[in-house]
Amino acid sequence: MDSEADAIVKDFASILEELTFNSRPIITTLTKMAEENISYAQYFVDSLESRIEKCVPKQKLYAFYTLDSICKNAGSPYTIYFSRNLFQLYKKTYLLVDNNVRQKLISMFKTWMAPNESTGLPLFDKSALDKIEQFLIKASALHQKNFQSMLPTPTVPLLLKEIDKLNLLTTERLKEKPDDEKLNIKLVVLSQLKQELQKEKLTTAALKPVQMQLMQVFAQDQQLLQERLRQEQYQKEQQQLQKKQNQFNPLGDIDQQQQRQQGSSHNPLFGNSLGLKPPGASALFPTSTLLTGQDFSEFEKASKLSKLHKLYESLESEGLVYKPPKDSVVNLFSTFNKGHSGASEIDADSKKAPLPSVTELHNILSDCKAYFATVNIDILNTPSLQISQKTIVGNNEIVHNNLINTLYRSKPKKCNVCGKRFGNSLEERRLQSDHLDWHFRINKRIKGSENTLTGSGNAGGISSTSQKNIQSRNWYLHDSQWVIFKDDEIVSTSNTLDNTAKVTTANVENSTRAISSGSMYDAAKETSPNTSERAILIDENLLRKKYVVVPESSEDMSFQCPICKETVSALYDEDLGEWTWKGSMEYNGKYFHAICYYEAAKNNNNSIGLELDLEKLKNLISE
Amino acid sequence: MSILPGIDSTPTTNELFEGTNEIHKLEIEKGYEWKVEVNAESKLVIEVKSGIAEIFGTELANDIEYSFYNNKFSILAVEDVSLEWRCPEIPEQKLMIGENKTAKYVYNLHFSLEKMRAASFDGPKVMIVGGSNTGKTALARTLCSYAIKYKSYQPMFINLNPEEGIFSVAGCLTATPISDILDVQSTIWGHSMTSGATMLHSKQPLVKTFGLEHIKENQDLYLATLKQLSEVVKLRLQNDVLVHRSGCIIDTPPISVMDDDLTELTTTFKEFNVNVVILLSDEQEDPLLTKLNDKLSTISSSFNLLRLPILSGVIERDDVFKRSLQRLAIREYFYGSPSVVLSPYTIGVDFEDITVWRPINFIENPEETSQLLPTQLLPVEVKPTTLQHALVAISYADRKANESNVQLAPTLGFGLITEVNDKRRKLRILLPVPGRLPDKAMILTAYRYLE
Repeated sequence: MDSEADAIVKDFASILEELTFNSRPIITTLTKMAEENISYAQYFVDSLESRIEKCVPKQKLYAFYTLDSICKNAGSPYTIYFSRNLFQLYKKTYLLVDNNVRQKLISMFKTWMAPNESTGLPLFDKSALDKIEQFLIKASALHQKNFQSMLPTPTVPLLLKEIDKLNLLTTERLKEKPDDEKLNIKLVVLSQLKQELQKEKLTTAALKPVQMQLMQVFAQDQQLLQERLRQEQYQKEQQQLQKKQNQFNPLGDIDQQQQRQQGSSHNPLFGNSLGLKPPGASALFPTSTLLTGQDFSEFEKASKLSKLHKLYESLESEGLVYKPPKDSVVNLFSTFNKGHSGASEIDADSKKAPLPSVTELHNILSDCKAYFATVNIDILNTPSLQISQKTIVGNNEIVHNNLINTLYRSKPKKCNVCGKRFGNSLEERRLQSDHLDWHFRINKRIKGSENTLTGSGNAGGISSTSQKNIQSRNWYLHDSQWVIFKDDEIVSTSNTLDNTAKVTTANVENSTRAISSGSMYDAAKETSPNTSERAILIDENLLRKKYVVVPESSEDMSFQCPICKETVSALYDEDLGEWTWKGSMEYNGKYFHAICYYEAAKNNNNSIGLELDLEKLKNLISE
Repeated sequence: MSILPGIDSTPTTNELFEGTNEIHKLEIEKGYEWKVEVNAESKLVIEVKSGIAEIFGTELANDIEYSFYNNKFSILAVEDVSLEWRCPEIPEQKLMIGENKTAKYVYNLHFSLEKMRAASFDGPKVMIVGGSNTGKTALARTLCSYAIKYKSYQPMFINLNPEEGIFSVAGCLTATPISDILDVQSTIWGHSMTSGATMLHSKQPLVKTFGLEHIKENQDLYLATLKQLSEVVKLRLQNDVLVHRSGCIIDTPPISVMDDDLTELTTTFKEFNVNVVILLSDEQEDPLLTKLNDKLSTISSSFNLLRLPILSGVIERDDVFKRSLQRLAIREYFYGSPSVVLSPYTIGVDFEDITVWRPINFIENPEETSQLLPTQLLPVEVKPTTLQHALVAISYADRKANESNVQLAPTLGFGLITEVNDKRRKLRILLPVPGRLPDKAMILTAYRYLE
């Protein structure tokens, strides 16, 4: 390394030493250096890696930020160099730092995973990132694992120590509220427990529940104490605020005047030490809010909150507050949230439930209006609906103000797939959920059929494409079928059958009889043709369900149907645990599509030189 | 679990911003409508972000993309609507947005019909009459859509205009119970039944083949076909309580294509027991109103004849556009729509394997009159000049059935003769349903389709 390089690298290292807080300028400087002196990349990497290794845990994050910045701005070769030790470095750091910093490390890691805009690849080497990901998954799983297993094996002296600690805590609380009966009882119980433990030699198994119980009580007490601490802190803050308020408000007007006089160059005359900064300089205490009336409401809110806290405390001490058990959702949520973001102020801000959007509020309002507009409407008893030129081409108030809602918002639940509306009654809700299920099933059929290619291996391309949901237009129904057709067959959504939904299909063969001279419509009234139609339908469904287990002699797991010449490939039937040919049948050692066979047999078509036997088929089906 | 990496990494592919296909935002005020024309080459995508918008009475779902091509329609803002649309061919400055002045009359009419449905098991039978481009089909479609919204009625929509294909190809008359939401994207209102899954419920139409394009070419045959349709519809109404109560909405051909005596209308009126007649006209004292009243009063005394102004959402449709709709209907019958792709089936057959009949066309062949019955079918010689690219209706009658049976037989479906090879005496026929060619008689229609 020549002297110039030496100087630059040393420079780099010394600037890095100064990175003891999260400083954007320093990181930017370092990044620039790295960008401009790519030839010394290796040295910079070494120096940064050793910095991450050696500095105090708190500062490791900032060094990582530098690494992140360099890699994102300068890119290769830094990304390549850093990839080598990245996992070790990351893991070591992660294990040393506290939860807060871990969270930040994870956020940073997430940005690494996002593919680069130009290359489409993640920032670092895939294997390194994978390792880190695996590590993080394990780490967080470990973190969430019940801490029960991590507790030391309970022994009598250990438990005694715990009891003593608890005793101490309770007496502490008793000092504040000497007349609290519950606490007194608790003390008594604790001392009894202590005696009990000292007296008898219990088994480890018996000790375990005692330990758990103690842990729980402990946690409760801890919570109480924390609550109190927080409240105290709050009061302190409040007092501070109050102080500020008192100091500022009389001066506020003057200050504003000054601001006006001085125009944009605002020089605070008062209380720089008290946190008043030029606008925009501080995110925490924007000057403007301190000087406006908004602050009063803030203040009011704070005092209300403290009142609430007091109320809560008193209710709790009376035993009127329901405490959710330790593993209830409520507690889990709050603990999870605590781990999520540390600083309480930011936390409180983010927890504030955002108001629903204006459109949503508008929707709710309109739905209500629609409900009230239609609640007492009876179409039958509305005289102005009598059909006539005057009522139609005129301004019909009741239609315009009330009835129109029956077409729209009086059924407030709009299907977000097709726009169909549903009401609020129980029946309508059932219809809606059936309707949604139907959409789901249909979507699954449409999508699933596009993606699943079956018949693996040597079965070949024809069969795999033929497994797609290929559909075609149906023939129109014969007049006699259409006359008795009910559209419920189509629109029924409660139908649980999906693939084999029995919808009437045109019966091409059965028609000649029905249309014989003149009496074509009598057919509709006859029942006999219809029953025979049904019989054939059922036949076909059964035929579709027929299958043949692929014989071991089959070489390529497929056969060609001698009738339609289509190649049928095997599908794995999970219920049977066998490879099968669906919708197929065997006859005299040959394999057929069951339906082809049936059709051919029915038409008595011997052109393919096979003896086809309907009787035999019937037996097969009834098997 | 959001702290785990890689879980919430949502890919940010922004395919919405492809090329010049810019997304426009549009706000439509309540009671206004946007008249849209999309030609066959371009595609318009609309997504309603908030509010209530409807097309021909069918409400659009919010935050769902609807695409339109080769279509003319109006989007009505029932409430203030904000939507996003993109279509490179439509200039943003030239949107036709205007106040809808007729929607309230349609609502009035709808609720009057609703009252009739509530009052009697025998629902209203509405016949919609008017000139070209007055919004007859739009009104029918809107009334059907409204009828299924509040209660689960199933009105029967009857199309008597052979130049339009609704749930079918043009050249036939159809009756279709509207049992569920119509497809706003479709110019033929949606799909007739298919063998697989469709995004919306398909409909089950009754189809009667007229075979010709214009009623004037063989009015007797048209009236006979109409009667065949009405006979079956009557039986369905007897069998289906729900459809009976919901009533019929009948769309008729434009007044201009009918004869001076309005025979087509009077026949329809009589055959379907119509009790509400709607005339779409802007003239307060339209002479047609008195004429209709006179003609219809001789048949029945209990009916309501109403005049509604021409719908304000009407967009002029020229012959070229009508042609394109007919072509689209044929294509959708065989191949489906972009969302529902169908697989038709081409088979080769010998000349001897098919029997084709054709209706008499008095305009093209005036000499074919005298001794023949007008409704009689004539045999067609199988040769390239007659059958190449022709759309044929396949009837339920056997191939060897005699002429009168074929004429009376229901329609099984349609086939498209894609190739006629004179030398090898072979034909190739596109069928909607895979399998053998049904051994049935065919009727040659006036429609040709070149793929």
